[in-house]
Amino acid sequence: MSRIECEENAELLPAYAAGRLDEESRAKLERHLETCPACRESVGGQRAVWDALGAWEAPPVSAGFDRRLYARIAREVPWWERALRPFRPALIRQGLPIAAAACLLAMAGMAVHRSAHVRPAPRNAAAQLEPLRPEQAESALEDMELLHEFNGLVRADSTGPAM
Amino acid sequence: MGGATAALDYDAELMLRVRDGDGASFAALLNKHRQPVVHFLCRMVQNQAVAEELAQEVFLRVYRSRSSYEPSARFTTWLFRIATHMALNALRDGRKERGQESLDDVSGELPGRQIPDGRPTVEQSMAAGDRLGEVRRAVAALPGKQRAAVLMHKYGEMEYSQIAKALNCSESAVKSLLFRAYETLRARLAHLA
Repeated sequence: MSRIECEENAELLPAYAAGRLDEESRAKLERHLETCPACRESVGGQRAVWDALGAWEAPPVSAGFDRRLYARIAREVPWWERALRPFRPALIRQGLPIAAAACLLAMAGMAVHRSAHVRPAPRNAAAQLEPLRPEQAESALEDMELLHEFNGLVRADSTGPAM
Repeated sequence: MGGATAALDYDAELMLRVRDGDGASFAALLNKHRQPVVHFLCRMVQNQAVAEELAQEVFLRVYRSRSSYEPSARFTTWLFRIATHMALNALRDGRKERGQESLDDVSGELPGRQIPDGRPTVEQSMAAGDRLGEVRRAVAALPGKQRAAVLMHKYGEMEYSQIAKALNCSESAVKSLLFRAYETLRARLAHLA
């Protein structure tokens, strides 16, 4: 058996030992193995290694793995992004309709707001209240005093000769 | 193969959703890949606490990269490329630390314990001297890239092309790496056969 043929087949051995070689390559390698004791020995050894590796089980992942990871992620995410997170899938899915609806609502709100703040034109200019001037206030007080005195005189007249 | 492709597409789709801000898709990816990544790292560095710490960094990097993610390769390949990078860096740093510590401490450290955490794990204690311990030591004695290639090939059931992308080398280089690694293991574990 030529050394070149062994070298050509050598790199097929791991896949062959693992049972992952395609049919064509496997057939070619098996033809070689029939006549090459060195490669047969190599295959036997690699199969033993493959089986020995199979017995090596890694320990289970610790229970707090996800919690620790999410805590680290949370430290990296700004608070506003965390606050928006529950709504983001819905916002992404329904972003356009929601945005359109929000625009319409905003426009309607602005229209209502504007109409509520427009003053109606006064029907009669005279009906408008004017600020009270000081002299008007004095005059009103004098009128009230006169009326009070007048009421007192009337009351005296009516209670005088009551017999 | 078809199933693998479908799984690939689904993972990439999930990652694109993560890019769009969907936290549930990240949780789905984490749930699916948490164990393979931790186990790969655990076998790489042979220390569970360190492996879990590295795995956290791997998933953090995935999360941080979400905005720039483009599904140009399989998600699993990308994920294991990050994991391999982290593991090889940790092994390199561990060797540096060990080199400094060796001035003071030359007590018989297991060759497989690349990143000492001060005490052997329960699993390490129980496995000492038995078949599993020998397998672990033999794997740990492999050069980093060979070790990563064997672990992805054996436990990750990854194809040569995927391993090549994860290790950033050619497919023929992976075949060569694997052949040399398995031959080394065969020689070291010959007495177990």
